[in-house]
Amino acid sequence: MINQESTPAVQSTAETTEHTESTQASRGPAIEAHDLSVTYGTETALESVDIQIPDRQITAIIGPSGCGKSTFLRCINRMNDRIDAAAVSGALSFKGTNVYDESVDPVALRRRIGMVFQHPNPFPKSIYDNVAYGLRIQGISSEIDARVKLALKRAALYEEVSDSLEKSALDLSGGQQQRLCIARAIAVDPDVLLMDEPASALDPIATAKIEDLIAELSEEYTVVIVTHNMQQAARISDRTAVFLTGGELVEYDDTETIFENPEHDRVEDYITGKFG
Amino acid sequence: MSSESNAARESLQRNDHVVRTERLYAWAIAGSAFLTILVTVGIVLALLGEALTFWSAVSPLSFFTGTKWSPIIDGEYGLLPLVSGTLIVTVCSALIALPTGLAAALYLSEYASERTRSFLKPALEILAGVPTVIYGYMALVYITPLFQGILPVSIRLIPPGLDPLPAFTLVIPSLQTFNVLSASIVVGIMIIPMVSSISEDALRSVPDELRAAAYGLGSTKYDVSTKVVVPAATSGIVASYVLALSRAIGETMAVTMAMGMSPQLPYFPNVFRNLAESSQTMTGAMVQIASADSLGGVTYEAMFALGLTLFLITLSMNVAAELVRRRFREVYQ
Amino acid sequence: MAADGNTERTLSVDSRGRLLGLHATLFEAVLLGATLFGIVSLCILFGYIAFDAFRPLTASIRWYLLFAGTLVLPTTAFTLYARRRPAVRSANTKAFGAVGGALTVTLSTYIVVDALSPYDVVLCLLFGGYLPVVLWLIVRRTKRTPQTGLTIILAAVGGLAVAHGGYDLLRPIVGIAAQWIAYFGIVTLPVACGLWIFGRRRWSRQTARRAALSALGVVLLIVALALGLGIDPSFWVVVLSAFVIPVAVVIGEIGVTDPAGRIGSAGPFVLVGGLSAFLAVERQLGIDGPDGYLTATLLLESWHGLNASSAGVYPQIVGSIVTVGVMGVLAFPIGIGGALYLEEYAPRTGWSGRFATLLEVNISNLAGVPSVVYGLLGLALFRNALGFPTGIVLSAAGTLGLLILPIVVVSAQEALRSVPDSLREAAFGMGASRWQTLRTVVLPEAIPGMLTGTILALARAIGETAPLVIIAVATTKYSPPDGVLSSATVLPLQIFAARSNVDPAFRHGIVPAAAVVLLVLLLLMNTAAIVVRNRFDRRSQ
Repeated sequence: MINQESTPAVQSTAETTEHTESTQASRGPAIEAHDLSVTYGTETALESVDIQIPDRQITAIIGPSGCGKSTFLRCINRMNDRIDAAAVSGALSFKGTNVYDESVDPVALRRRIGMVFQHPNPFPKSIYDNVAYGLRIQGISSEIDARVKLALKRAALYEEVSDSLEKSALDLSGGQQQRLCIARAIAVDPDVLLMDEPASALDPIATAKIEDLIAELSEEYTVVIVTHNMQQAARISDRTAVFLTGGELVEYDDTETIFENPEHDRVEDYITGKFG
Repeated sequence: MSSESNAARESLQRNDHVVRTERLYAWAIAGSAFLTILVTVGIVLALLGEALTFWSAVSPLSFFTGTKWSPIIDGEYGLLPLVSGTLIVTVCSALIALPTGLAAALYLSEYASERTRSFLKPALEILAGVPTVIYGYMALVYITPLFQGILPVSIRLIPPGLDPLPAFTLVIPSLQTFNVLSASIVVGIMIIPMVSSISEDALRSVPDELRAAAYGLGSTKYDVSTKVVVPAATSGIVASYVLALSRAIGETMAVTMAMGMSPQLPYFPNVFRNLAESSQTMTGAMVQIASADSLGGVTYEAMFALGLTLFLITLSMNVAAELVRRRFREVYQ
Repeated sequence: MAADGNTERTLSVDSRGRLLGLHATLFEAVLLGATLFGIVSLCILFGYIAFDAFRPLTASIRWYLLFAGTLVLPTTAFTLYARRRPAVRSANTKAFGAVGGALTVTLSTYIVVDALSPYDVVLCLLFGGYLPVVLWLIVRRTKRTPQTGLTIILAAVGGLAVAHGGYDLLRPIVGIAAQWIAYFGIVTLPVACGLWIFGRRRWSRQTARRAALSALGVVLLIVALALGLGIDPSFWVVVLSAFVIPVAVVIGEIGVTDPAGRIGSAGPFVLVGGLSAFLAVERQLGIDGPDGYLTATLLLESWHGLNASSAGVYPQIVGSIVTVGVMGVLAFPIGIGGALYLEEYAPRTGWSGRFATLLEVNISNLAGVPSVVYGLLGLALFRNALGFPTGIVLSAAGTLGLLILPIVVVSAQEALRSVPDSLREAAFGMGASRWQTLRTVVLPEAIPGMLTGTILALARAIGETAPLVIIAVATTKYSPPDGVLSSATVLPLQIFAARSNVDPAFRHGIVPAAAVVLLVLLLLMNTAAIVVRNRFDRRSQ
């Protein structure tokens, strides 16, 4: 009767994936998917995806709309749990733990994997309260002031708002709001930042600021960014994954390779703008 | 790798305390939702229990077909006079509210400017917000004397001069202190917003393309409103009518205060007598029984039998209205 | 050429077109007439009621001149002045809102507490209010996880149980204190705490503390003064704490933060000044006012069935206010809970999804059940099943509470639906649990809408009569209720009971006046709902 963060049925293949340690990245992958599929009722959103996302790098996910790139992103921190009809199969591990394991709490998971959304969505509270939100819900009560200040500085917003921390976050401009959302996400010091087209609702200047910020953040965080803007992916990411229609991961490689010498013709067609 | 991944795994475990509190809140919230079901079940059980006791003393057949309602004096429990009273009030108030409400809905949705609409609509809603006891009082003390000043009226249907013909005259008799007419008028006024607001929703949700198409064919605004928009919103309008009638049937205080307490079978050839004289509705009979001091016995149970009948009638009307409305929504999805 | 002429003819307005135009105008006029029919009829009927209640023809011309000169003219002039300037207008509205709201709260608090006995109220507040808050503060200091909402609810329930169980022992102890101390605990302390919390958000911590302390100081000063003069300070404690201090804070804030609109806050004072000038001159010159029925006697005395000049509806007013209050306390949490389940918890699929659909259909049907049937439910539930005595406040409030429950649920659902889903996603994405998301993000946004809906539902219930007749609430009572278990009557029932009284002094006097009182109560509640909603709208912009 009560839908307590219902856990979709998962065939636990975590044991096997855990030992296939990646050798190319020095620290091992932060996120690793193996045969990951997602269906909404009868519709397939992701089709058997295998991917290893390296630690402390920027991974871009590109593809035409409806290709399942957002679905994949939302699988990582189990935001898909909120949709009753979504069924996930396969394995997806975060630092070696299958996140769809019975014992994993999606709430705890999301505290380690922060998320920034397409449209800036600050809470209708003060700037300070927005950044302190994650700390407060985790019951952290020490040094909130210092942590809020640090997060705002890291998000390159502190200079602009330092004397109006008590003002409503809704009074900020769109770009500032999005940086506030990033500050809010990093205030709790997560391991991974998921970004779902974070700059698509912003003007070019705000977009440039966000891109600079993302590049800086990758020194400390693993960043996975979904974007429909290929130039953006080429500019900022270390690795790029291309999803094409039907939720299929067609190609995943270093960004340079993808954009200069893709293996598949379909990927080349997509990147050169022949479709999508 | 194991130390790092173990730490990661540890931190992803469920926090039992948090999970437990979450579950507690979820149960508390589901519990209060469940309570609304209990209310329905409670209504049905409460009504059914006492009503069945009543029907074991008075046979349902004589209850539903009896022509005399006089529970306290004669112990007669015939429902038909009350049904007649209820129907007459409902029909008369519908004569006022249904055309007026539809016209108001049409005006608000097709003709009124945004500004006019922004104060006419709340003003109409006020009609439904005035306590019914005040409506009843106004009917009794102000409306009835107003009509008593005018009535009785005799109208000769055939003009004088045509002597060979019998003198057909329409006589509207004078009003009694308690009468159906004034009760019907106030009930009609109070259900206008029910018709107008639901009908207006239906009219407004008619797609603009339909209007544009009709204008494109050279129709006037009158044509568009009456021949395109209203027919397209028929099911919504019907639903609003059914809901308004259901509200009129369940209306209690105004009819109790203005209509008096003498249940009547309809007078036939002289229909205006039905309006001019006192009568009683099912709801009025319930109030009368409740106001009598002796709570208990067959009469007391009769109140529940009346309540159950009323509940079933209004429930089926509401369900019917909902079904009609749903059909309408499907058409324009 | 011929074709051109033809076109010209068909596009110009000919006689048929003119006829059509007339037809269209007529049709629109008929529609407008139908729209206005109900509104105008109601206005006329209200006019009758007002005419009977106030009897405006009995006043002299001089009285009207004085009335216009001291009250109507200055207020109208000020309103016209304020209307042109947006800043002044908004300050004016705010000031009127503060004065009106504080006045309503002050009077209803004093009336209700006085009826229930201040000692009983302070006892309940002590155990059910202050104790849990103190406990909550302690828990918050010591424990890490902020899951304290449950603690405070449990402590409040437990505290009330202790107060109830130990009533015979505790009541005499509390009774030692003077009455004004009880009022001080009921009104002044919460107001000071509220001021402190409000001030911490709006001003600095230091100013907030200073404001709260000086509020307490001023009240104590007045108490000392009153005691020195030999006056019972109880009423003045309430007036000072619930009216003067909040109004002073609001108007002071306008004065400091809004120099452009500052003058607007004088609006209420123009009205009050005009009123006192009016009363002074009226008494001085001995001008005869209208000999209406809406008098102080009507508002402050209890019912008299034979003599209209000494009949009053004070017990009925108190009964209505107390019943509505208890009803709100019962229906609000349950209604909100139901709405939260349907909007936030209920899954859309499977068996539990079907359960949710059933609930939804059930609630919409419950809203259509005639109110008289709820009376039967109340009768069966409270009198037959629970064995409550006939006509007590709790069963009246419970019955009407069940009646408004579906309305509260539906309006709360609408309020929840209006909270954008992106906020929920943001909170979930931050690792908030479902309840945390609701408590910290969704509820703060939705509460004003829920309150608006609940107040409107309560406003509907305050005029509801039929269910109360069915559960046999007394139609006439001579004293206000002194607790939730004491019997009471409400205003609409008194109006109902007077239907058979043919004495014109009642029929065309006391009853219309009582109806005016009921309509004013209704109007106040609707205004409150609109104020809450507008505040909410402004914030979300």
